[in-house]
Amino acid sequence: MSLETKRIIIAILGSTFLISLLFVQSREVTRQREEAGLIPPHIAVPATSKACVDCHRQNNAGIIDHWKGSKHARKGVGCADCHQADSRDADAFNHYGVVIAAVVTPRDCGRCHPQIAAEFGRSHHAAAGNILASLDNFLAETVEGSRVPFNPHSETPGRAIAVVNGMASAQIGCQQCHGSRVGLVSSTGGILTVADLQPDADGRPTNLDAVGKIVRDQNGRPKLAPSTWPNTGMGRINLDGSLGSCSACHSRHDFSARRARQPENCGKCHLGPDHPQKEIYEESKHGVAYRDLREEMNLDADSWVLGKDYSQAPTCATCHMSGNVRNGGRITHDPGERISWTNRPPVSLAMDTDINHKVVTEKDPAKRRELVVDTWEAKRARMKEACSTCHTADYVNNFYQQYDDFVVLYNEKFGKPGTAIMEALLAQGLITKTQFDEEIEWQWYYVWHHQGRRARHGASMMAPDYAHWHGMFEVAEEFYQRFIPSALEIVAHAEKEGRTEAAAAARKVIDDILARPEHAWDKLAPTPPAAGG
Amino acid sequence: MEHNETAEASGAEMRRRGFLARLSSVAMVTGLVAGYGAFAAIIARYLYPARPQAKGWLYVTDVAGLKPGDSVVFRTPQGATAAIARQGAGVEASDFIALSSTCPHLGCQVHWEQQNDRFFCPCHNGTFDPSGKATGGPPFEAGQSLPRYPLKVEGGLLYIEVPLEQLAGGGACTLEKPGGPPGPGHDPCLYARGRARV
Amino acid sequence: MTRLGDWLYERLPISAEQLRELTNEPVPNHLKRWWFALGGTPAYLFAIQIVTGILLAVYYQPSPATAYESVRYITQEAAFGWYVRSVHKWGATMMIAAVVLHQMRVFFTGAYRKPREVNWFVGMTLLLTTLVTGFTGYSLVYEQLSFWGATVAANISDGVPVVGGFAKEMLLGGETYNPRTLSRFFVLHAAVLPATIVGLIALHIAIVRVQGVTELHFRDEERGKPDHFKFFPEHLYTELIIGLTLMVLLSALATILPAALGPKADPLTTPEIIKPEWYFYVAFRWLKLFSATTAILSMGFVVFVMFTWPFVDAWIRRNTRYQDASVWIGIAGALSIIALTVWEAAVAH
Repeated sequence: MSLETKRIIIAILGSTFLISLLFVQSREVTRQREEAGLIPPHIAVPATSKACVDCHRQNNAGIIDHWKGSKHARKGVGCADCHQADSRDADAFNHYGVVIAAVVTPRDCGRCHPQIAAEFGRSHHAAAGNILASLDNFLAETVEGSRVPFNPHSETPGRAIAVVNGMASAQIGCQQCHGSRVGLVSSTGGILTVADLQPDADGRPTNLDAVGKIVRDQNGRPKLAPSTWPNTGMGRINLDGSLGSCSACHSRHDFSARRARQPENCGKCHLGPDHPQKEIYEESKHGVAYRDLREEMNLDADSWVLGKDYSQAPTCATCHMSGNVRNGGRITHDPGERISWTNRPPVSLAMDTDINHKVVTEKDPAKRRELVVDTWEAKRARMKEACSTCHTADYVNNFYQQYDDFVVLYNEKFGKPGTAIMEALLAQGLITKTQFDEEIEWQWYYVWHHQGRRARHGASMMAPDYAHWHGMFEVAEEFYQRFIPSALEIVAHAEKEGRTEAAAAARKVIDDILARPEHAWDKLAPTPPAAGG
Repeated sequence: MEHNETAEASGAEMRRRGFLARLSSVAMVTGLVAGYGAFAAIIARYLYPARPQAKGWLYVTDVAGLKPGDSVVFRTPQGATAAIARQGAGVEASDFIALSSTCPHLGCQVHWEQQNDRFFCPCHNGTFDPSGKATGGPPFEAGQSLPRYPLKVEGGLLYIEVPLEQLAGGGACTLEKPGGPPGPGHDPCLYARGRARV
Repeated sequence: MTRLGDWLYERLPISAEQLRELTNEPVPNHLKRWWFALGGTPAYLFAIQIVTGILLAVYYQPSPATAYESVRYITQEAAFGWYVRSVHKWGATMMIAAVVLHQMRVFFTGAYRKPREVNWFVGMTLLLTTLVTGFTGYSLVYEQLSFWGATVAANISDGVPVVGGFAKEMLLGGETYNPRTLSRFFVLHAAVLPATIVGLIALHIAIVRVQGVTELHFRDEERGKPDHFKFFPEHLYTELIIGLTLMVLLSALATILPAALGPKADPLTTPEIIKPEWYFYVAFRWLKLFSATTAILSMGFVVFVMFTWPFVDAWIRRNTRYQDASVWIGIAGALSIIALTVWEAAVAH
């Protein structure tokens, strides 16, 4: 082989080497692009929380793991930032050199999320703790349990039970969704709550007597009453006077927005015989689409605006809270802002709210006009912004017509008549003031609290079965088969006992209702079906 | 006659051979430089620090919690301190200042002297005014100031941009396995502080 | 230029003439045959290993706590880190393959015979050193196979009579794999062994130069043609061609079959299948066929025979009529080694 040949070969090989390295370069570029998405973001533990993380990583590794996956961690918000407390706070204590409180309330979250805390604070969610003075509460505390502890019936082998806590059903049942009244164990044997501590505008207790009674262990840690904590009920009444718990929806410690967007999150509480929103959603077309397409719905995205980041299907959050392209992506933490009927009471009310965000029940139109700050129409318009992202105007408006018709039907045929009958029986003294001690009270409860609410919710969220078979059909059945016969029986019984006036007054109310054409179907001649079907 | 022709012919051949030789030499050198040059470029890229040191925005405090004139000390993940003060009543990032505690002279840590209203560096007696400008010592002679960290305000919250990587080691508790039951006095991390290292 | 030349000559009394004389040795014609370039091949690959090894050492951390993470960093994050690591890994394989092929060339051309026995010893030492370098290198990655391979190898060396226990403890820095073992491997792999190899290569080449290369004549060569050619530029071009071909080959292998990252070493969990690198398959298989002591002693014996082959061969040629015995024994030996290697490669256990 001549020298020239060798040189040429070297030249060719050199170029081949260069080409192979260009290929290497292109591989490197591809690799870097792939790696950019795969490398998890750096989590730097903030210096103030380093001791917390180091110790709790050994003891409660799950807490640290959850936190590390949260957006808080990525932004440098650590344990100390949320759990920090002022030494004057009722539940504050010194934990290895740092003053903290175990319970984090919306007041704490509101330090960094003030607008959300304010919206949430005025919403019906935050008021969920009001159940503590309601009918439902009576059921749980008295009918199912006992407001005062009572003695056991007999022995339980293997366990020493001295006394029975009659509030247990309320505490682990109702209050776990609605929220407990957080309490600290008192040295006098009771529980100290916000009512005893009387916190000021900064959440610090003003009643120092009560503060002095707080039971503390040898490290100064106050004892949270087991009946009230753990609790992340939506309307928890906190020691610092704030209402609610942000971790109810944004589970700690990863405070996942992703989770809050999913219907299963709301479904922890919004389900069951009296308000089966979760089941209704699953039946509806919205739920069917969600189940099919949830992988593509960008649940992890920072921005989750309907019409921009996803449009496959709405979830609970989509319609009731999240932003959409029509409202500029604005999120609200007050779901009531978009609700035009409140279907909670025995008779649905139009959601005209006053300056305190409470429903206006005033009947006089002039007075009403003065009080109403946000009308039901405005609320409906907000909801329609969400609907209209996927549906045309006629579609949306006609649906609302169907919905309105249904609610009105329920109101006028069952809600108002039933209320009138119960009021009459009570006014005439034909039933006792005690709730749930007579059968008719249970029956009426079913009509409006269970079947009636189910029906209205089913209609509101496009679940035909819940509107009809699991709804209005059962309303009608309960009403005609049990409620009305019970009322008539009570009246008959009263007449037999000689309480003629009371019985007559009550009977008149019942008869007037049953004489109405919509109720007189069993006595009238069969009406031919309307022309056209 | 034959000789002359052969001589002429071989003369041309010689020139052609010379040209070919030069061409092949040039080609060879080009090929070698191209190939090994690319290799050297790859090596250089490999050695250069791979990507800028990971930096991120970390939460400091809510704006409402820092009054004008107040300051708060922030520890970066790498262990440096930054003194963050609010100078103006507004809520823009420009109303705040974050001064690094690292002296620009030779890197010692400065501290704030309340009584003298200045930052003081113990290594060579450098001094700085509250805005970080050097007022005495070697940094003053070099016309230096305390370095600043970028700040931003978002949603009513103050963030600082700092390097995120933490060097391994140090920390309150580095036990591989927890020892003893948790709780006051039985904390595994407290145990570790008392024990001699293996 | 001559002023500079004079200035240098006053301080370093070596003339340009002498330098040219020294370096531009006449290379016998038979070295134009490509399979005589098998000595330069491992040398070039060694140079590549030094370069890539130094690059890897910039990011590698020789501590059990951080070694695997540093290798992961190189493989997944450092710019071209995967390429540097893959070239280093393939370079190791190719260097060992080239060394073995070179040794076989030397063996089958009888170039170990008198007066070249000493160089054969140097070459054998180079072979063993290269193999140990490969082994220590692989142990640094701190994958499962690194850890368990090192543990198994240490236990094997423990089986050597008399000095075995001592050797194991020196290798591991203790009785078992401990936090200081990796540092030992690293110092061996990155400093001691490469320096040894450099010294041995220098010695190997010096001996070749001092003794000169026998000028072989192949049957298909014309008589009367010049029977040697110049090192510069002809042989250098040959070496450059080989070098570039190897670079292209290494780059291709690095891109198509890059070095991967197995699971991190777990001292508490032994993987189902532990295998050393391919160049130890023959020994691994041999150890499975016999009891530990027998296998170790027999392997030691085989290595000893390989070392002293020049004398064995001389004895055979002197005292028997089989002049080509070496060739046949060599063929048998090579086939056996290949068979054992393939056998180990083919089966899981």
